[in-house]
Amino acid sequence: MPGFLREHPGSVALSLLLHGLIAAALILVTRISLYPSATAVQPMSIDATVIDSRVLHAAAQAQAEAAQARQAAIARAAAEAAEAKAAEAAQRRQAAAQAQSAAAAEQHRQAVAAEHAAAARLATETSAEVRHAAALQHAAEAQRAAEAEHAAEVKQAALAAAAKRAADAKRVAQAKLAAAAKQAAAAKQGAAAAMQADLRRQIAAEEHANAVESGPLMDQYKASLANRIIQAWIKPPTARKGIDCKVEVTQVPGGEVTSAHVTQCNGDAAVRQSIENAVYRASPLPVPPDPALFQRDFVFEFKPNE
Amino acid sequence: MNKQFRFLVLCGLLAFSAAVRAEFTVEITRGQDIAIPIAIVPFASPLGAAAPFDVAQLVANDLDGSGRFKSMARKDMIDQPHTGAAIIFDDWRRLNNDYILVGQLRNAAAGRYDVVFELYNVLTHQRLLGYQISTDTADLRLASHEVADMIFEKIVGIRGAFATRVAYISVIGHVPHRTYRLVVADADGANPRVIMQSNQPLMSPAWSPDGRSLAYVSFEDHLPSIYVQILKTGARRLVSARAGVNQAPAWSPGGKRLALTLSNRSGNLDIYVMDLATPALRRITHDPGIDTEAQWSNDGQSLYFTSDRDGGPQIFQIALAPGSRPRRLTFEGSYNARPRLSPDGTHLAFVTRQQGAYRIAMLDLRGGGGMQVLTKGRFDVSPSYAPNGAEIIYATRDSGRGVLALVSTDGRVQQTLKSSEGEVEEPAWGPFRSK
Repeated sequence: MPGFLREHPGSVALSLLLHGLIAAALILVTRISLYPSATAVQPMSIDATVIDSRVLHAAAQAQAEAAQARQAAIARAAAEAAEAKAAEAAQRRQAAAQAQSAAAAEQHRQAVAAEHAAAARLATETSAEVRHAAALQHAAEAQRAAEAEHAAEVKQAALAAAAKRAADAKRVAQAKLAAAAKQAAAAKQGAAAAMQADLRRQIAAEEHANAVESGPLMDQYKASLANRIIQAWIKPPTARKGIDCKVEVTQVPGGEVTSAHVTQCNGDAAVRQSIENAVYRASPLPVPPDPALFQRDFVFEFKPNE
Repeated sequence: MNKQFRFLVLCGLLAFSAAVRAEFTVEITRGQDIAIPIAIVPFASPLGAAAPFDVAQLVANDLDGSGRFKSMARKDMIDQPHTGAAIIFDDWRRLNNDYILVGQLRNAAAGRYDVVFELYNVLTHQRLLGYQISTDTADLRLASHEVADMIFEKIVGIRGAFATRVAYISVIGHVPHRTYRLVVADADGANPRVIMQSNQPLMSPAWSPDGRSLAYVSFEDHLPSIYVQILKTGARRLVSARAGVNQAPAWSPGGKRLALTLSNRSGNLDIYVMDLATPALRRITHDPGIDTEAQWSNDGQSLYFTSDRDGGPQIFQIALAPGSRPRRLTFEGSYNARPRLSPDGTHLAFVTRQQGAYRIAMLDLRGGGGMQVLTKGRFDVSPSYAPNGAEIIYATRDSGRGVLALVSTDGRVQQTLKSSEGEVEEPAWGPFRSK
């Protein structure tokens, strides 16, 4: 775990930030969802929840997307790490092979040197002819030895070149890995920043909606709607006290009523018809003093008090 | 973590969607007491013939007269469709109509017509009525009232009472050359027919529940007597001509008994019930004061009546069961008389005196609310409920002349009916015509 932390400090920090944002969003949501039931006098504050749910939905989506991005980045990093490890192992293997071949070359050199020394000793001890023959032989041997030495040198050079290539490859791989990690981190950071900005915007919109809905503008909007309907409702004689009817209304921006359906109603057919007519007669409905208050679907409740 | 988060969000969304429906609500506690705008398009006439009757005009008069409708002036109509298919709803809506009636008068056979009509809701484009009434030429007026009744019921929610009749007494001339007439007319005052004529007073017409007969008091023998007359044949029968007073007949709900007021030798008035078939009499009230103007409860088990047993006239109720004691119902003011029961049995209409003026008042028999005074005249008397209970017809004085007037039971609409000549008094609104 600490190793993981050391290796991926950026990812861990990002993850912590995201969790913090989600927790904040949840707390906000819980607070808002508790409000309407606590204050029955402001039924329209529930309007905020529509925006809430959108915000939540978007936040959830952003969260899911971020998580997805995070997971992809992690997967990418893991793949890269595995790749690096493999490269390292190859390197180690190559180094070992190199060391082995170096040792072998040394042995060979020592052997050649010993032979050479023996040959020199032998040469001082023999006659001139013998010495000449020995010299000839020695020369031949020396030539062979030199040839062998050269071969060993060539082999060593080849080995060194291979080692250098391996080291280069490793450097490139490491650089690549680092670049990829950096890129992933940047991407993650960008996503987080975007989400944060999004959340901030939504929270601001929500706060604005909350502010207008609990403020005098909502009361004003409600009053203007009620007034328009009161003016439009021709109350039939059977709509007496005790009548309680709800009509579901759909309007489009601009206030034009596109549908009106009486749902719950303890009145007769004339009462139901008068209510639907009232809504259509009132069309277009007044527009809200703040666009944040507009509600496409809502309910008029008809409860004559006399 | 992800899963948990999603679950929480889902919970939140569910809670909100449930709350949104219930909570974004605007409450409406009042409405307008204004007339409903309706376009009543002139009906198409039979091909190549002049219309024998203007159905649309009569329907418009009925609906406008109720005070609950305002029909569009014909000159403002930009189109005159005669079928639903020909209605351009947006046009009629732009002219501020909530409803539209279209129709045709078709000549079905010699002297017979079909009244074909359709009622539409202009706002919803919904077809509310579509009927054909076949009728004789002579009954085109009645058929038109029936069209108005159907529209009224469909839109207002109360059965229309335009195709009903009213009986009343008209008095023409001056003493000693007075003529008294018992008249039956359509509810709009049209089509008056004299049922009985006398140079002695006629009083207290009362409809039998089936609408076929009238009971009334006639002084034709210089003493008050009670007669029952069958409208169709004119045949009549003397049902009570006892010594002293015979007055205020009232039919039982089943039409087999008559409550009436009789006097004994000392002139004390009490209420009796007569079985019309036998004709056995039973005394209901026993009081030295005046007991009169009986009305039956809807269950036929008790009577409402006027009595001065407590000083001034007040309204009481007494059960018909032997030994029952009357119960006083009115306590406001020093004069409450002539009770009439609403068709649904929930209210009494009567005459009350307010600062020297006589007015029509109503009492809710279900308790609470007290007395409600409906009229504002100086001499508003003889109330009688329309069979739908929506209006009360009564007698009043207009420029010193006796006329009939209407008031809606919610007090909203009030109007005086024109009368051709003489004094008109004691209106009695007849029952619905049996279908």
